[in-house]
Amino acid sequence: MRVLIVEDEKDLAQEISEFLTNEHYNCDIAYTGTDASESLAVNMYDFVLLDIGLPDYNGLDLLKEAKEYNSEAYFIIITARGAIEDKVKGLDLGADDYLAKPFALLELGSRIKAIARRKFGNKTHLLQFGNFAVDINKRVLFFDDNPIDLTKKEYELISYFVLNKNRVLNRLQLTEHIWGDFYENDFDSNYIDVHIKNIRKKLATYDDTKWIKTVRGIGYKFEL
Amino acid sequence: MKIFRGRLKNQLTLFNAFSKLLIFGVLLMLIPYFINKISIKNTDNNLYKKLDQLYDIIDSTGIESFIDEDAEIRSYGSYNILKAEYISIEQIKTDSLYESIESTRRIIENEIVDYRVISAVFGYDDSEFYLIEIGKSINDIVDFKRTLQRFILIFLLIVIVITVVVDISFIQSLLRPFDHIITKLKRSTSPHNFDYTPVKSMSSDFIYLENSINNLMRKIEIRFNDEREFISNVSHELLTPISIIQNKIDNSLNSDDIPVNIVNKLVESKKTLNRLTLMIRTLLLMSRIENNEFIKNDTINIKQIVDDVIEEIYIMVQAKELNLISDISSNLPAISGNRDLIFNLIFNLVTNAIKHTPEAGTVDIKILTTNSVIIFKIKNSGKGINKDLIPDIFSRFKRLDNSSEGYGIGLALAKKIADYHNIDISVNSDSNTYTEFILEFTI
Repeated sequence: MRVLIVEDEKDLAQEISEFLTNEHYNCDIAYTGTDASESLAVNMYDFVLLDIGLPDYNGLDLLKEAKEYNSEAYFIIITARGAIEDKVKGLDLGADDYLAKPFALLELGSRIKAIARRKFGNKTHLLQFGNFAVDINKRVLFFDDNPIDLTKKEYELISYFVLNKNRVLNRLQLTEHIWGDFYENDFDSNYIDVHIKNIRKKLATYDDTKWIKTVRGIGYKFEL
Repeated sequence: MKIFRGRLKNQLTLFNAFSKLLIFGVLLMLIPYFINKISIKNTDNNLYKKLDQLYDIIDSTGIESFIDEDAEIRSYGSYNILKAEYISIEQIKTDSLYESIESTRRIIENEIVDYRVISAVFGYDDSEFYLIEIGKSINDIVDFKRTLQRFILIFLLIVIVITVVVDISFIQSLLRPFDHIITKLKRSTSPHNFDYTPVKSMSSDFIYLENSINNLMRKIEIRFNDEREFISNVSHELLTPISIIQNKIDNSLNSDDIPVNIVNKLVESKKTLNRLTLMIRTLLLMSRIENNEFIKNDTINIKQIVDDVIEEIYIMVQAKELNLISDISSNLPAISGNRDLIFNLIFNLVTNAIKHTPEAGTVDIKILTTNSVIIFKIKNSGKGINKDLIPDIFSRFKRLDNSSEGYGIGLALAKKIADYHNIDISVNSDSNTYTEFILEFTI
């Protein structure tokens, strides 16, 4: 899949590119709005990461323009201002998701995967593992087509693990994911341990959960 | 001096009227008194002259021209027709000579007449003594005095009324610019909505006063704007480098062959960065609240917000094995405000309470409603806040008891959100047993 990163901070653009390349995406970088406009006119992208705080271009205008040339692409807007109006306007103009700087690269990767799964093709919104399935449209976990009663946070953790299966996720990454904007300094990481304990207990009533692995001293992974 | 407190123009008018009344009152008393004095003095001089004339007549013609030598009653008296004057002479048995003058009242033919009377005793032929009295009516003087008093009173009343009216309108027009300045100050709640249009005035003092106030207001406004813009820009500029560091750490953590101790160091670094991010975001949020950037017309169900917050943090309650009691009255009226901010406010107070509750302690959330307010109370057991520190608890960056667990910026944000919505926020605490935060939402 081809991704265009529109970001005027070179260092940041390169880090994003490095991460996504590792995840097997093809990345182009545009450091200015003008470059981005040209790239969008010439190439077809699956994803566009758009920093709407560009010095040379109104980000929202660029988004409008890009939607015309690259109507198939999915857009994730990035802002450092954290202004809710930017988020709302961006989503109104057809952006598919929104991230505030600073964001975790794993979070970005997961958002892209989730969008891809939601939007591409049939049944991709269902992440099947064993007899379980995560429906990322309905935000529900199923066991043999029966919905499992989970809290919001439990669902978020499970879907995050499944989107990043076989990857070790440390407690901080998980904390950042489930609390996001409300992340607090002393959100002790043992809250994650309690969550995992609860999840294990709930899922164990349906099936064996030995694929939930504890990685000593770091975190957890779903080995699927 | 409290009773004299009032608007300057009223005070001036009152003072003016009062001082005029005082001066005129004194005049009213004094003028007739002096006129009386002068008239009496004139009358007296007149009487002395008459007495001298009488002595001359007696010297040249003898006492017999008044009193017959053989008369049994040795006295003489004479009035003129209108009783304006009289003379009396009578022989008396005394040997002391004297002379006196006084005002006295006489009844003459059933009529009271005020007289000024000179009395004198003189010796005649070495063996006889006579008392002479010459009287002059002073009814004229008394009448004149009364008329004058009445006239002066009427005159002065007219003068007072005229001058007070003139004074009031003069003071009014003179102080009009001052009134304008006061009104402007009363109307503006912050330098942003201050009315800078100049006031027309003839007095240089007011022009100076107004210019000074305008200049001060402008300076304050510029400072306010600068501070907000500064915080906003700095926050923005800081978030980009933080972003870069964070993503570099993310990429470093992304390979599988890093030793656990390095992973943990990188994770700790990220946590520190997150702390910095949180602080900057909070500052940014506060400056945006100060900028009135939030629309406050969401219809908010507080019970829903509290439920959402509890769902958000329930794992903390479970992990610390806290006893969470919530007593929320059903059918709470809706309030209006900014939903995100109110959520943030409640979230802040709830996490703050949980943070400061010891393991297995109690957090008690109550929402009650009266006719005019919804009261939200959150009380946690454990070490409370020292009384001396309570006034500072909502200040930015005040840390209590030097521990790393600061109330810090979170409560400052809570206060800002509460103020922005006119929600009353307060705290009760006993340093040994509990802390309680109270919000009062006006319906």
